[in-house]
Amino acid sequence: MWADTLLIVFISVCTALLGEGLTWLMVYRTEKYQKLKTEVEKQSKKLEKRKETHGDSLDKQQKKKIEREEERLKNDNRDLSFVKMKSMFAIGFAFTALLSMFNSIFDGRVVARLPFSPVTWIQGLSHRNLPGEDYYDCSFIFLYILCTMSIRQNIQKLLGFAPSRAASKQGNSLFGPTAGQFK
Amino acid sequence: MSTKTKQIEKNGTSKLSLPSVWSRAFKSNSEWPDKEEFLDVIYWARQALGIILGIFWGLVPLKGFIGLLLFVLINAGLLYIYFTSFQNIDEDEFGGVWELTKEGFMTSFAGFLVTWIIIYSGLYHEIDKF
Repeated sequence: MWADTLLIVFISVCTALLGEGLTWLMVYRTEKYQKLKTEVEKQSKKLEKRKETHGDSLDKQQKKKIEREEERLKNDNRDLSFVKMKSMFAIGFAFTALLSMFNSIFDGRVVARLPFSPVTWIQGLSHRNLPGEDYYDCSFIFLYILCTMSIRQNIQKLLGFAPSRAASKQGNSLFGPTAGQFK
Repeated sequence: MSTKTKQIEKNGTSKLSLPSVWSRAFKSNSEWPDKEEFLDVIYWARQALGIILGIFWGLVPLKGFIGLLLFVLINAGLLYIYFTSFQNIDEDEFGGVWELTKEGFMTSFAGFLVTWIIIYSGLYHEIDKF
């Protein structure tokens, strides 16, 4: 069982690296993406600063300027999402195929023992395709999702591919809707 | 030239005049002119803490809901003490306590669960064998 657990951690490290590698090949290294990314980051920081200094003032001119910059940032963010979209779809398809392959390999196998009993709505995931009623048994998919959640984001951050905080805070990209959108 | 240097000294924003992020992270009341740097420190501290707690909980072994609850409390509490009492930063500059507590929390939680499950499974398996 422990060999399976470690194997899944290894698999998720590999898939995370593969995913980032493919995205780098198709998106990150392209000139268009790099130009747009620096532009978005620069604008987000500028806008944040402007909002901090003039946010509360009732100066119409400043408000207009902020609005204009917001609009520009929105457009750039949209362009950035479109640049990413094509490769995201390709990678998405490849990974769905890979995941279903691993799913069938680990089908019905207990890959780990949980130290806690998961809540009911998680049990469907943590006990997927497993025999018996022992909910402390962990299925492949649950461990894989947890591994991916932690490993992928850390790898992205280590390699410097994670979107900057200022950009994700200000931007309303297609893939990263901010809370402000739903207000 | 001299005016420029003076300006930098006055503002204290020159990266060259500040010690490295590592030494500032371990020194109390450090200056953090770049918000991103401080948020990165919080992020990586959370990840390290998540893995350390995961290993520890697995070795003890701690079981059940109490393990999850203790992780949340320790993770949020320790980092809160770090940025309020140790670094003495102004939370509002970073968008409030909630923003700082959220920083890297989910990733750290996932990392914690993975290490906890791995260590616990290993130990459980060993016990099972004998």
